[in-house]
Amino acid sequence: PPIADLENTISKNSDVVSVMSPAGCSHVNGFKVDNWKQNLRLIYQCFVWSGSVETRKRKAKSCICHLCGAHLNRLHSCLHCVFFGCFSKKHIHEHAKNKRHNLAIDLLYGGIYCFVCQDYIYDKDMEQIAKEEQRKAWKLQGRSPLLLCIGEKYSMWEPTKRELELLRHNPKRRKITANCTIGLRGLINLGNTCFMNCIVQALTHTPLLRDFFLSDRHKCEMQSNSCLVCEMSQLFQEFYSGHRSPHIPFRLLHLVWTHARHLAGYEQQDAHEFLIAALDVLHRHCKDDNGKKANNPNHCSCIIDQIFTGGLQSDVTCQVCHGVSTTIDPFWDISLDLPGSSTPFWPLSPGSDGSVVNGDSHPSGATTLTDCLRRFTRPEHLGSSAKIKCSGCHSYQESTKQLTMKRLPIVACFHLKRFEHSAKLRRKITTYVSFPLELDMTPFMASSKESRMNGQYQQPVDSYSLFAVVNHQGTLESGHYTTFIRQHKDQWFKCDDAIITKASIKDVLDSEGYLLFYHKQFLEYE
Amino acid sequence: MSKETQMRAAINQKLIEMGERERLKELLRAKLIECGWRDQLKALCKEVIKEKGLENVTVEDLVAGVTPKGRALVPDSVKKELLQRIRAFLAQQST
Repeated sequence: PPIADLENTISKNSDVVSVMSPAGCSHVNGFKVDNWKQNLRLIYQCFVWSGSVETRKRKAKSCICHLCGAHLNRLHSCLHCVFFGCFSKKHIHEHAKNKRHNLAIDLLYGGIYCFVCQDYIYDKDMEQIAKEEQRKAWKLQGRSPLLLCIGEKYSMWEPTKRELELLRHNPKRRKITANCTIGLRGLINLGNTCFMNCIVQALTHTPLLRDFFLSDRHKCEMQSNSCLVCEMSQLFQEFYSGHRSPHIPFRLLHLVWTHARHLAGYEQQDAHEFLIAALDVLHRHCKDDNGKKANNPNHCSCIIDQIFTGGLQSDVTCQVCHGVSTTIDPFWDISLDLPGSSTPFWPLSPGSDGSVVNGDSHPSGATTLTDCLRRFTRPEHLGSSAKIKCSGCHSYQESTKQLTMKRLPIVACFHLKRFEHSAKLRRKITTYVSFPLELDMTPFMASSKESRMNGQYQQPVDSYSLFAVVNHQGTLESGHYTTFIRQHKDQWFKCDDAIITKASIKDVLDSEGYLLFYHKQFLEYE
Repeated sequence: MSKETQMRAAINQKLIEMGERERLKELLRAKLIECGWRDQLKALCKEVIKEKGLENVTVEDLVAGVTPKGRALVPDSVKKELLQRIRAFLAQQST
């Protein structure tokens, strides 16, 4: 491994005096006096990485060789005085020898050249300044289509001293192969806690969330020990530790009871309710450490919001003046009504009879997730008993309401409303709803609706991939939750509390489906 | 300075002033990575390092050892594209 080679080289060289090591050379000491840091920064800003219009103008005019006037030939600037000279034609070398100015900077790449060592040197302090100035200039460059909108140039990871130390003291390396089972771990049922276990399995296999926690991005500022985000972090450590024995999530359960009282107790709870409660607590606890940055309480930048929050657009159209009133509300999940429920459900796919279907076999006319989404986003007449005050007509008028997705979250969670709790009955709707592995959300976007109205063709870009399915078996009174999760691209596993078994894609797609988790395929930069 | 050198200098100035030089650099970097040129250069550098030895090699050794071949290995399509973009930029500037 390359780190070992680097370390060997460093240790071999450490006892040689004027050494070509990454630490730099001793000849910079003459330069590092007085206000050298500021001077060096100025040189970078003006002549190497010019970020602003003024510095660029100055650079364009003055960066030519003082001896021959050329702007090419690897122009260097003397660090001790104002002199620019070609490197290729040795003009800068002449200057260095005549004036005994030992250091020069490469105006193309910012490297520092030492004429005594006769090579480029890497002084830690100077490197630091170079990196900062480069980053600054980069940010100032603005929205060039090539630089995308990252604002930061990609730079390779270089281990810090501390990280090298940690790597040396922990020599065991874990290699992720195509078939490894790291990340898979059972969860002990602590008494009807499968509603919690199934959600934990889905969350620990959400790629972005996993990356966030495994890279230690949570900096806790809560005083007490009751931070749920810290506990999630611990949970991820447990799941990706490589231990194969089931984990006992007693601390998690206790924290949930503390922060979401309505879920406390040993009765079976609703997994969907737990999901929303968990996201809410995590979001609140995250906000505590992002609180200073989040200037808008409705648009938090915590990891939960970044991953799970979408925007649902509601358009209410007055039937008289056709004025549209639009509101956008944040959402963490989309709850979909099913055929067979007491809310009217119109079968939209040809051949679907809308009746309750039990068992494994599904007729070709079965309701699809897309059907449910189409129903969810169809215009709905609000009826004469629900007139809305129209600001255009200044009176109460009949109107239609339509929901569309304004902004889709990175992880879209669909909740199939299988549990009916109306005044007259409490029952579970077991209608089979078929859901796909890949889902195109384009037709349900607010922008698509506008395009369709303008007669434009919408390019499909909102493609989502299924990565977790929570299922409920049994009745409303007594039931059990399990989760299918996607481990690698095409490997699925069934998580049934402490028992993890391999599953086929068919198993997953044939299952009833209660909570469906989809992950956006293509991520964009902010 | 010859007329050609003067013109070169003037074009270069304009490119820097408008920030176009940086954009072209990034475009070039992306193109050279895409076509595998950077990997070829990496291999050439490794050869030079093996020859001179890791402890003794200087940047100058690398520049001298790699530049002629490196220049020759740049695909014509990349050169053409860059040229086109510079032309387009200059045309834009004169309007």
